[in-house]
Amino acid sequence: MTPRFSLGIDLGTSNSAIALSRIESESTQIVEITQALGPNRVGEKPTLPSALYLPHPDEFPEGAFPLPWRAAWRGDPIMGHFARDHGALAPDRLITSAKSWLSNPHVDPKQRVLPWKSEIKEEKRSAFDCSRMCLEHVKESFLHAMRAGGEDLDLADAQIVLTVPASFDEVARSLTAEAAEAAGLGKVVLLEEPLAAFYAWTAQAGKDWRAQVRPGDIVLVCDIGGGTADFTLIAISEKEGVLDLDRISVGEHILLGGDNMDLALAYALRAGLEAEGKSISETQFLALIHAAGRAKEAMLEDESVSEFPIAVPSRGSSLFGGTVSTKLDRATLEQIALDGFFARTAIEDLPQQTRRAGLQEFGLPYASDPVISKHLARFLTRSLENVKSSAALSSLIGAEARSKPFLAPTAVLFNGGVFKAAPIRRRVLDLLSAWSDGAQVRELAGYQPDLAVAKGASIYGRNRVTGKGLRIKAGASRSYYIGLESSMPAVPGFKPPLKALCVVPQGMEEGSEVLIEGRDLALVTGQPAEFRFFSSEVRSGDAPGEIIPDAERELLEISLLEVDLAAVEDMPAGQPVPVQINAAVTELGTLELWMKHAKSDRRWKVEFQVRTE
Amino acid sequence: MRTLIVILAVLLLALASLALAPDTLPAPYAAQARALLPSAIAGLALLLFIALVAERPKIPAPAQAAPEPAQLPAIKPAEAKADAEVVNLLSIFQEKGRLVDFLMDDIAGYSDAQVGAAGRVLHEGCKAALLEHFGIAPIRSEGEGSKITVPPQHAADDYRLVGKISGEPPFTGTLIHHGWRAEWVKLPRLVTTHADRLPAIAPAEVEVR
Repeated sequence: MTPRFSLGIDLGTSNSAIALSRIESESTQIVEITQALGPNRVGEKPTLPSALYLPHPDEFPEGAFPLPWRAAWRGDPIMGHFARDHGALAPDRLITSAKSWLSNPHVDPKQRVLPWKSEIKEEKRSAFDCSRMCLEHVKESFLHAMRAGGEDLDLADAQIVLTVPASFDEVARSLTAEAAEAAGLGKVVLLEEPLAAFYAWTAQAGKDWRAQVRPGDIVLVCDIGGGTADFTLIAISEKEGVLDLDRISVGEHILLGGDNMDLALAYALRAGLEAEGKSISETQFLALIHAAGRAKEAMLEDESVSEFPIAVPSRGSSLFGGTVSTKLDRATLEQIALDGFFARTAIEDLPQQTRRAGLQEFGLPYASDPVISKHLARFLTRSLENVKSSAALSSLIGAEARSKPFLAPTAVLFNGGVFKAAPIRRRVLDLLSAWSDGAQVRELAGYQPDLAVAKGASIYGRNRVTGKGLRIKAGASRSYYIGLESSMPAVPGFKPPLKALCVVPQGMEEGSEVLIEGRDLALVTGQPAEFRFFSSEVRSGDAPGEIIPDAERELLEISLLEVDLAAVEDMPAGQPVPVQINAAVTELGTLELWMKHAKSDRRWKVEFQVRTE
Repeated sequence: MRTLIVILAVLLLALASLALAPDTLPAPYAAQARALLPSAIAGLALLLFIALVAERPKIPAPAQAAPEPAQLPAIKPAEAKADAEVVNLLSIFQEKGRLVDFLMDDIAGYSDAQVGAAGRVLHEGCKAALLEHFGIAPIRSEGEGSKITVPPQHAADDYRLVGKISGEPPFTGTLIHHGWRAEWVKLPRLVTTHADRLPAIAPAEVEVR
């Protein structure tokens, strides 16, 4: 059955949103999300803060948080605006950034460990659960909004596109798809967020977008939200008079964003207050962070403002006696927001890698270097390495682009709240231009600060259904490898390097599969076998079946794979079975690995096991 | 109707603060002037509230109204709901802009600088709440002081004619105040209201250790 409408869901680290496109129309609309705004109070907002509050059983009376689609509230976790604002005052019970925990290699996303390091007595939640609940909320709210508008839509008639960061590896991607299925969304199509932003831009620019890019362009999609930075490069080429778009590189998962800037400003303001002998409480500090963020936005928007007054109210009811006032001046703002986070560094300046101490906490892997310029430099340097390793990608970018020490973008599409500020956009363009010896770098006009990702996803869904419109060639965002234990004579004090076999090449297209021949493995029936699983976003040249001599040095380990060859009648337990690896990228964008019996069509699915140490 | 009056009052107040202390202005204007504005607003608003509360038709108190409890005139659910919605709106302005704290605090004992700082909290929060929940637009787009013609068939509450009113419509005159209207209202819904009590404006906050 052909879908009648397309839904784009942006499951954000800090905010989620949903957009609807009808197949037979050009328009795309954001559907506001119904959520708790306080005890006994519900309302609609364009976004749902991805915050989950786990209330104490006796904190609120029964029925305090009704939702139109829920019969009665009995202490279930609360999601949305109220959860975020109230949770800030009771942080032990607040889960935020659950999405980033999905891609944390050290903590099992299905283990109930959130809120992290909290000592609450009630049951904790897993990152997977949080994503599922968030998606369920978005789904129910959407259906409710449609019913309220007199339309009873059936999700079976929908093409649903769910966005994920480009930096998500396959484990995080498949967990996201699984969470969507558990939330009752069925099989969803996955789309990388920067690509969704690009689709939204082309739809908004209309026919004009083709005039804004030209063959030979390399477009940097620079997406910096509240808590994460995500980079992607798209190469524009021309084949038979038609523009061709290829996503040629994706960045690493960087936990650094606008919230860090607000926090840094708030620390500076608090230091100023303390120097004047005024002290503020932890709660007032939260208000100070919000105020600093608003001051930053106002001052970056209007450059004639030289200072911005900030007032932080007391917690008690006396407003006149308890309000602390200060101001943010332009020098401090520029020193922190622009020169601190977007410093004019050189292309060789890469982020400092913290030395990993022997014992470390497995919290979220926040970026240890706050200078976004350096992360961008690292991304562009690694992008060149990636493109150079494959003849197909090299041919897309031309010899001149290959001669520099990094892959230089010629145009930038901004996305994410941080770039609401024109001075920050200008700084990034200046920086790129300086790295390219003054060559001009254009900004693609039509930046939409909010909700572009959800809109772009629903537009992409509609294009998939109609078969019309733009399609950026993307495929697998990175290559994947299985570790093979080397068979070498044991030598004391020497650990033989782990070899790895490439099973999925970067760019492998949706709806295709490979069978790796000539590398037969033997598995024993009746006992589960485990393999180490690796990925790389800089080895686009590796073909399936290729052997990497030293996996631990060259690749990034992301998970463990497990396959269980149950004993069957004609293959009793303990019998070795020759198998070949069969990898497929589904139409929906998820990766499937199978062990295929070399002599029959029988095959066994390989499951991801999150590595916990 | 009463609902409307109170909504209008709250609106007026937040508007007055909006009009008097536009935060688009750079900071360094005289601290004196800056500080005086909120006090003026506060006075005005207090008056408004007092007037409104005074005007409130009294719901017959049980003890006075009827000796027999069985025959008490029950509060109609619709009326209780309307009152609850007004308190709900008030609680939004309190939560975002500390409106009730501002008005209930004793202003006399504080310096203009302190009142000014509190005025910023009020202005920023109430303005955000106002713009979130009401589509605010001027009734006339012309600049104040310009000559305009009053449309003959206007709604009674859209125009107030002052001065020397004579002759035939349409009337022309100088625009003194461009007026404000709410083009839409989008308020959070109050879900459960108990017929016997109004919701709290602000909860008592207790830090548990």
